[in-house]
Amino acid sequence: MGRTLKFNIFRFNPEDTAAVPRMDTFYLEETDAMTLYIALNRIREEQDPALMFDFMCRAGICGSCAMMINGKPDLACHTKTKKLPSEITLMPMPVFKLIGDLSVDTGTWFRGMNEKVQSWVHTRKTFEPHAPEERMDNALADEIYELERCIECGCCVAACGKANMLPEGFMGATAFNRVARFMMDPRDERTNDQYFEVVGNEDGIFGCLGLLGCEDMCPKKIPLQDQLGVLRRKMGFSQVKHLFKAVMPGK
Amino acid sequence: MMADQTIARVEPVRTEAYLDFLQMLTGVGLVAFMWCHMILVASVNLDLGGGRVMNLIAYFFEATYMAQLGGPLIALTMVFHFVLAARKLPFRAREQKAMWRHTVNFNHTDTWLWIIQAVTAFIILIMGCIHMWTVLTDLPITAAKSAHRIQGGWWLLFYLFLLPMIELHVGIGIYRIGVKWGYIKRANRKVLHGFENKLTVIMIGIGLVTLFTFFFLVKAM
Amino acid sequence: MDTFYTDLLCVGAGLAGERVAVAAASAGFETICLSIVPPRRSHSSAAQGGMQASLGNCCKGEGDCPDVHFADTVKGSDWGCDQEVARLFAETAPVAVREMAFWGIPWNRVVPGKGIYYKAGKEYEKIEKREMEGMITARDFGGTAKWRTCYTSDGTGHTLLFTMDNEVVHLGVTVHDRVEVLSLIHDGQTCMGVVARCLKTGKLRVYLAKATLIATGGYGRIYRETTNCVINNGDGTIVTLDTGIVPFGNPEAVQFHPTGIVPTNILVTEGCRGDGGTLKDVNGERFMHIYEPGKQELASRDVVSRWMTHHMRLGKGVPSPYGPHLWLDIRHLGAHHIKTKLREVEEICNEFLDVDPITQMIPVRPAHHYSMGGVRTNKDGAAYGLKGLYAAGEAACWDMHGFNRLGGNSLAETIVAGRIVGEKISEFLQGYEVDFKTSIIQAEVKKQQEKINNLVSGKNGKENVYEIKAAMGDELMDRVAVFRTGAELQKAVDNLQVIYDRAKRIGLSSKPVGANPELSMALRMPGMVRLALCTAYGALMRTESRGAHAREDYPERNDRDWLKRTLAYWKSEDDTLPTLEYEKPSKVWELPPGERGYGSSKIICTEDPEICTPKPETN
Ligand SMILES: Cc1cc2nc3c(=O)[nH]c(=O)nc-3n(C[C@H](O)[C@H](O)[C@H](O)COP(=O)(O)OP(=O)(O)OC[C@H]3O[C@@H](n4cnc5c(N)ncnc54)[C@H](O)[C@@H]3O)c2cc1C
Ligand code: HEM
Ligand code: HEM
Ligand code: SF4
Ligand code: F3S
Ligand code: FES
Repeated sequence: MGRTLKFNIFRFNPEDTAAVPRMDTFYLEETDAMTLYIALNRIREEQDPALMFDFMCRAGICGSCAMMINGKPDLACHTKTKKLPSEITLMPMPVFKLIGDLSVDTGTWFRGMNEKVQSWVHTRKTFEPHAPEERMDNALADEIYELERCIECGCCVAACGKANMLPEGFMGATAFNRVARFMMDPRDERTNDQYFEVVGNEDGIFGCLGLLGCEDMCPKKIPLQDQLGVLRRKMGFSQVKHLFKAVMPGK
Repeated sequence: MMADQTIARVEPVRTEAYLDFLQMLTGVGLVAFMWCHMILVASVNLDLGGGRVMNLIAYFFEATYMAQLGGPLIALTMVFHFVLAARKLPFRAREQKAMWRHTVNFNHTDTWLWIIQAVTAFIILIMGCIHMWTVLTDLPITAAKSAHRIQGGWWLLFYLFLLPMIELHVGIGIYRIGVKWGYIKRANRKVLHGFENKLTVIMIGIGLVTLFTFFFLVKAM
Repeated sequence: MDTFYTDLLCVGAGLAGERVAVAAASAGFETICLSIVPPRRSHSSAAQGGMQASLGNCCKGEGDCPDVHFADTVKGSDWGCDQEVARLFAETAPVAVREMAFWGIPWNRVVPGKGIYYKAGKEYEKIEKREMEGMITARDFGGTAKWRTCYTSDGTGHTLLFTMDNEVVHLGVTVHDRVEVLSLIHDGQTCMGVVARCLKTGKLRVYLAKATLIATGGYGRIYRETTNCVINNGDGTIVTLDTGIVPFGNPEAVQFHPTGIVPTNILVTEGCRGDGGTLKDVNGERFMHIYEPGKQELASRDVVSRWMTHHMRLGKGVPSPYGPHLWLDIRHLGAHHIKTKLREVEEICNEFLDVDPITQMIPVRPAHHYSMGGVRTNKDGAAYGLKGLYAAGEAACWDMHGFNRLGGNSLAETIVAGRIVGEKISEFLQGYEVDFKTSIIQAEVKKQQEKINNLVSGKNGKENVYEIKAAMGDELMDRVAVFRTGAELQKAVDNLQVIYDRAKRIGLSSKPVGANPELSMALRMPGMVRLALCTAYGALMRTESRGAHAREDYPERNDRDWLKRTLAYWKSEDDTLPTLEYEKPSKVWELPPGERGYGSSKIICTEDPEICTPKPETN
């Protein structure tokens, strides 16, 4: 009870031409059931109203508040201070463009990702307003939902060494998960070759080094590792098969 | 690509898939070789340094010209593997710095594993080549010759250093192939990673015992 | 100054805003969506339980149809809704759900065969028909005659919003996220767009559009304890109210949700009770069956919230450092059910409460949840008073919810209204031209810039914005909540007027470089207090009890005098109270006022012949 928490918080406002990146220190008395959401808002309201950070749902479901908490990416709103040491270092996520202090531009990044992987159901059918819906097995619906649960928080990207090395290029596990989601969905008529066009390259699945920072840091526990494996196998083996067919035209 | 767009079905450019597949294949091939190599070298333990079994195996390899041909082939595979794998390494200073900073701040096991693999790779490349040159220019392989080298002292140090490097690289490499190609899943990752660690330790153990045998038990040439 | 031109400007990129954008973009109109946050983070993503549509696929939904859905909605609204709109809504909802399925929602599906379900803590058996296998299924929700709430586990809003945004990306609709609208540009007749502030750079921008849509969601943040997210500040409602021309419909109609968790007010979905969860008191005993023998835990939200509050007043609440609360018990549903159909709930309990809902009960009490009121529109979604201005979603008072919205009807509203309003806007845009008057644009920009300058310089005063926000939140929470009385409401109005005066004297204490968060809050604070005043004053004037508006001094529903909708105007900047006008809630009376069938309430009947005689088919 009653710890004094010391916060080291990264500060930089790119709009302020005179500013240089620095670390600021704040002290706060810990209260019952305190989360970083509560703590940061108190710091803003009581100590530094200019402090920039993002929260939305404050319930771990919108993905707004990811930041580096003592070196690891996580959602600030669902992080209880009780689980942290009394000195807490907060940094903005790397890879994404910095907006200011702890706030980064995940919006632009994810819109780009969604465009790159063409994150929508590709179908030649048109919607019939008065026809009954197409049937789907409930177990399959559950499986799709499992992957659909990604909240685009960006933790998997911030946790990925490859993405840190190549902040402009690499798609990240969230993109592979998205592709896997559509591959699983019978409503999407894309062929393996079409998916290959999207992710079959060094910025895509073949650029993944298997570092598993994504898997270990995803706050939603999306089975990223399993999706990455399946995707690489599908993309890799289908192309190798293709090679064999090309070499041996007989069969 | 641009021109292709008028064609109804776009044939994707598949190079990256092939290269990635080959990288895995050369990796697996080298691992298989290293295990065979271990059998050859460690066979010296079988008759407690007598060297008969090892000489026999070595003789078999040479009689079938597998050493003379296989040696350079292995060297080639290694270089090829290096070229393939090197595509993944950061060569620009900015990238190296970013990766290093990330690894240190993030402090995450699997990320460290990759760093270890990348670093050991360079050591293996250099030391492996020296080693292969030495052995392959001094055929035939016999236990006595090997013991002579090792008992000289410098080679002992050389191997004592190279051995953990190679086993770490192999162990991590196999684990990561499993992860990357979806054989190691969330459900079995812990178990298989533990298995991989044990394998690495055992391999280093066997290697140490072998070096011990060479140094103390085998009669040098 | 960055200026953008477009056919349609959607202020808000939640479900409603994006559905309208998709409709307009599909019709070939250039569309820009603005949002404070990246679109997929809009509050729609937080909806868990599901959306209502009368597909009637599951066995407990058999025989469901738009007629039944319509009747439930009207009853739920306590006859405060626009019946024409409710009819339109009920008819379109099934199409909207199927359309979302076509776009990729993994709706939960019917699994044939025997299954068990819980109601009021007891176990029952149901048998799903083989021929319905794989059709979209539904769960039970409060205030409905059938199981009608379609869902994807408890991430319905999330999957809906992601799928909708997929369509937005697919169609290439431009989205400017991290943009905050500050005011509407209009000449008293026509709306021409907005002045906005970029939340990446802090710079002002102008958006000029032939049609402007307000879809900014709810404004729950005027309350201290709300399930709403931190950006639900009501900006859209504020900027339309600020015109002095567009009315704010039914501001006093505010819904409290029975199960906000204590202390953080994060919502656990109604699906918990729909799936059989029960409410218990300090003795671990159920109580809803005493008050509502019929629907028990699944009476409509206003009713359950009232009985909970009542029960706690009797001293049956569980004492805690955060005040008394009650328990929500879902333990009997079992680990499998909780881990598959209520996993967000499990996560929320684990992560925010350190409670394991499989073995422990969840501390809950009513919290502010939904704003039935909003920008008053006609059934096409066109706002009263300004040409070219539309509204949809929670921000609008399209008015299918009247004085109480049913669970699952709001997600449904966003995409149904989005679909309908989107088509109407496309019709409107066909061949429509508007003259963007430079002088008006300049004047509006200057006004906003001045406001900023004054806040920065502290010209009007040095009041602290966060203190004012807290004072406002307390006032509403303590006096304009589940139960209301004339005396308390009068006090709230008086106190809010003082707070309003302070809100006009806010000064910044930080240097406003870039996207300064203090400036954002300071800019909207007077507007938020205006919304609060509308709410409190509207409630004070309405001397009856209807739906979520429960006056202890006027416990009866008074159809004779109060079968009408409040329209609040803020006519002049110097006003300290809204001007209230009233209109009949509905032009047609397909279902004449009657008993809801839950929530005991005396009714003073209307004698208006137009209302009493039902009319058959409408449309
Ligand atoms: C916790 C919770 C659970 C719920 N569960 C259910 C449920 O199970 N079923 C159901 O039917 N309903 C549910 N609801 C209600 C329902 O989710 C909402 O009413 C609905 O999603 C509102 O959608 P919307 O599109 O109108 O607004 P929102 O999704 O809130 O979107 C508002 C948009 O406006 C933007 N915006 C706001 N201000 C500005 C500004 N100044 N400038 C520019 N853009 C701005 C925001 O960035 C955002 O994009 C729930 C609500 C809550 C709070
Ligand atoms: C006999 C010696 C070697 C063996 C047995 C071996 C084995 C392996 C294996 C199994 C992998 C995993 C392959 C994959 O991830 O697809 C691997 C990866 C790698 N190897 Fe080797 N290797 C050897 C030598 C070398 C050498 C000499 C280099 C170069 C300097 C090298 C560099 C790398 C690198 C950088 C990777 C990582 C590639 C990636 O992560 O994608 N290896 N090696
Ligand atoms: C075809 C090629 C190879 C041949 C014929 C060969 C042969 C041998 C022989 C004969 C020894 C016994 C010691 C000695 O004589 O000096 C030895 C030991 C060793 N070799 Fe190789 N080698 C080959 C390739 C490699 C490669 C590529 C590596 C790793 C990069 C390697 C790593 C080692 C190590 C670490 C030892 C010490 C073994 C121990 O710990 O007991 N060798 N090798
Ligand atoms: S996959 Fe997980 S970590 Fe990555 S963006 Fe989605 S929810 Fe976040
Ligand atoms: S951390 Fe990065 S390298 Fe691959 S396994 Fe995850 S995407
Ligand atoms: S604020 Fe929504 S996830 Fe943290």
